[in-house]
Amino acid sequence: MAVLLNCEKLGFGYGSKNFATDLNFELLAGEVVALMGENGSGKSTLLKTLCGQIPTLSGTVLVQMNSSLQHCDPAMSNLGDVPARDLARRVALVRMSGIAPDRMTVREFVNLGRSPYAGLFDGRSAEDNRIVEEAIALLELESFADRQVSTLSDGERSRVYLAEAVAQQVQILLLDEPNAFLDIPRSHKLFKLLRKLAAEKNMGIVVSTHSVEYAERYCDRLMVIHDGCVQVSRACEARQKGLLNWTEC
Amino acid sequence: MNHRTGVGFAILAALAVLFSYLTLTSGSVEISWSELFTCDANGMGCRIFWEIRFPRLMAAILSGAALAVSGLALQTLFRNPLAGPFVLGISSGASLGVALSLLAGLCFGHFGVLGSAALGAFAVTAFVMAVSARFSNSTILLVAGLLVGYFIDAVVSLLIAHSDAEALRVYVSWGMGSFGRLTRESVPVFAVVGACGLALVACATRYLNAVRLGDDFARGLGVNVRLGRTLVLLGSSVLAAAATAFCGPVAFVGIAVPHLAFMLFGTGNHRVLLPGSALCGIVLCLAASLFQTLPLNAILSLVGVPVVLWVIVRGGGR
Repeated sequence: MAVLLNCEKLGFGYGSKNFATDLNFELLAGEVVALMGENGSGKSTLLKTLCGQIPTLSGTVLVQMNSSLQHCDPAMSNLGDVPARDLARRVALVRMSGIAPDRMTVREFVNLGRSPYAGLFDGRSAEDNRIVEEAIALLELESFADRQVSTLSDGERSRVYLAEAVAQQVQILLLDEPNAFLDIPRSHKLFKLLRKLAAEKNMGIVVSTHSVEYAERYCDRLMVIHDGCVQVSRACEARQKGLLNWTEC
Repeated sequence: MNHRTGVGFAILAALAVLFSYLTLTSGSVEISWSELFTCDANGMGCRIFWEIRFPRLMAAILSGAALAVSGLALQTLFRNPLAGPFVLGISSGASLGVALSLLAGLCFGHFGVLGSAALGAFAVTAFVMAVSARFSNSTILLVAGLLVGYFIDAVVSLLIAHSDAEALRVYVSWGMGSFGRLTRESVPVFAVVGACGLALVACATRYLNAVRLGDDFARGLGVNVRLGRTLVLLGSSVLAAAATAFCGPVAFVGIAVPHLAFMLFGTGNHRVLLPGSALCGIVLCLAASLFQTLPLNAILSLVGVPVVLWVIVRGGGR
């Protein structure tokens, strides 16, 4: 499988706070990786670093900018060197705790996902509209597509945020606790959807979660941040290797 | 363009045409259209039309569009429904520039008044930008804007205390706001400056749509946040400065019209709201310009205050 993202000796944090150093990690096309760790361990900071929102403290993050993965260019681009708009077509970070948009319908919000492809005056083509409607259908938002986002429940809003990222048509999807506000059936549905997206659209997905159950059941690999150290293992071997010991007091 | 948007634009365009016609034809002297195109240029009817009514029409159109777009862009940028050129002190800055020009004699014809207004507006904008970069809390920004307004009032008071009666009369008259002050010769200047301001804001449409969810979200969509913010602040300042220089501190258009536009079009998409707000502002100012014998700001406030109150009571906002 093609490598979409490659971290080499990555150190991440902000200001004087350094969460971890020497992280070596490759995100492959078609896989879902669970990012786990205690509160304050640096999960959100790592996700922000991987999408270029905050700079690396050390090491490099390389991104595959070739959209045709069948003819994968072995030379990847340094995250810091990629123009912002090009990067937005490759990587998206979905945060569920963001500002609740006022005066914006669900359809308008999902439409923002096409912004990286828009011209100077932010117009939309028929193709853009088709992709937006597909994303709305995929996340089952049709019944409230014309409602204001601010009037939705947290769970409904989570799906809207994810639909916006789907409309962005990125290859690398980073999700910060997407099931934090979801009930159990919706959480299962969400993780199944992530698996589907990874398989059908050949996406690489990193999802931070506190749920060991969902991580082991739906993710290919687990990445655990604990005591300033990041360990990565296949999901089926993680418990055996002791990556989940920190979860038991 | 959906049905509601199309109907909204059609209604506003029809109203704009109607009020434009009334602005050009209403007055103590009746001028027929045939007389306009047949009479000699020095005839009374022609002169009234081209020297008084046409500039008044253009003042209402240009300042209505300028202040409405400026207000909308600032409300979106600061994610605050009560932001605008007045509340953030940008119009006060322009007023100070004009006060310096009229009361302290730093005037070089119309370009001098406009230049002074622009300089004052930019100075306040720079201050607002510095405060907004330091504090993300919009309440602090509004308080800072109000304080700037008070400070400027104090400076203007000092200028008034040391000015002669004629200069003071001109400044007080300017402060009441009027579309009748624009001269025919100044129309092209106002139009060009206004077009530049509108173009700057229009070029930031993608930024304005994305930044409603915060700077980080906009960056995630590949938007150059710093450039967008600069375009909006620069464009808004140019628009507010031009409108204030030529028509005086015209109240409430900047705050109230974006809300009227949202109520009419029902969308937060700035591809619709920017032209929609401009058209709403034009219609409102054209309607106000029909009441020639009443102070402009009084007429506009009668419409503006209920709208702003509605926003506060509703508790909604960007």
